[in-house]
Amino acid sequence: MLDKFTAGPSAPHATFRPASAPAHSSMRTLLQLIAVFAVALVLGISSARYMIEEGSFLTTQRAGPWASWLSEGNPNADPYTKAHLARSGRLPLTSTTARYFTASTDSQGYQLTSDCEYLIEGSALNARWWSLAVYDEHGSLIENPSQRYSFNSEEAIRRSDGTYRISLASNARPENWLPTGTGPEKKLVLMLRIYSPREIDSSGIGQIPNDRLPKIERKACN
Amino acid sequence: MQLRVPLLYILLCLVLAGLIHIAAVLALPGLAPKNAWARLVPLGPANTMIQIPPLAPGNEVMPMMAPDVRYAFCRFDLAQGPVRLKGSVPSDLWMIAFYTPEGDNFYTVPGADMKSAQLDLVIALADQTVAEAGVDAPEDADELFVIKSPAREGVAIIRAPLSGPSRMARTEDALKATVCSPLKK
Repeated sequence: MLDKFTAGPSAPHATFRPASAPAHSSMRTLLQLIAVFAVALVLGISSARYMIEEGSFLTTQRAGPWASWLSEGNPNADPYTKAHLARSGRLPLTSTTARYFTASTDSQGYQLTSDCEYLIEGSALNARWWSLAVYDEHGSLIENPSQRYSFNSEEAIRRSDGTYRISLASNARPENWLPTGTGPEKKLVLMLRIYSPREIDSSGIGQIPNDRLPKIERKACN
Repeated sequence: MQLRVPLLYILLCLVLAGLIHIAAVLALPGLAPKNAWARLVPLGPANTMIQIPPLAPGNEVMPMMAPDVRYAFCRFDLAQGPVRLKGSVPSDLWMIAFYTPEGDNFYTVPGADMKSAQLDLVIALADQTVAEAGVDAPEDADELFVIKSPAREGVAIIRAPLSGPSRMARTEDALKATVCSPLKK
């Protein structure tokens, strides 16, 4: 392919090419094609992986650290959402019955880790029931002596205006303490599940205004 | 002229990358060996209500399950006829959700939408008629709530959110009393 453009009759250096040039250049073309294919493979796979794991504007609603897959569980979901769901191993309710928001960073964008302590500040959610749970990066609950893995709308201590504060920390904290366990550092993932949101859009999807989602503020790190 | 060669390679690379991207996204659901269905099948036989024990670190069936929700599920197989789900729903927080093996949530009955606290519904394929399947009395058939399943197999999951430790025992008793069985006797 390369010599088509360089070895034409008018190419000034054509006469200096050694006798073995055609074989040499076709080998070069082959290597170049292999390189093109390798780059395409990396690009294609990594872009697919990113859009399936992290989501994109096509599939997810983002608000600060929170992300929510809008068509999760929906029989008419797009291929990215279906791939995400199959990989996740979960069986979520569709967004017309429940909304799920996950966060793996704090509100500043830093990875949530069991080495740090966080203050989660949330306001009242217009829904029948909600629950905020913490998991390790594999989606497993974190062992702790008080066997506390989540706070829900019935349990969390709330102030008269409906706001609440949850401390995400490895050591006991007053008010609502969500333990992150002891032992080696773990990456953390928070999931806020909201059952039967009362505000819905024209397609029946529960609406959670972005400013209603909790703020996650890092307080101190080991 | 020299510039056209890299440009050609770049175009070829992008087109190939696009095709590989599409193929990867479309192939992935079939290549995910540990989707939810694969995790639920080993827990018990079809057409039986199976209780998922209270969640604790290490005993989760699926990732990111709610620790403050009790789950029970029935993996239904409609090959031999429709399947019936019976029980009582003590709280309007309950959700009874129906899925295909691929995880499509094709129907959900929120507890709040139920007319009575008694759960009694039938899962059937589009071409299965419930009356023919032999209900006790014809008038029973009219009152049955029928959910048409798009797939021969699937799973019905009952989610019972816990509204405080005091009500935990009541929730668990109600979940254990739900029955999933073939409609035809």
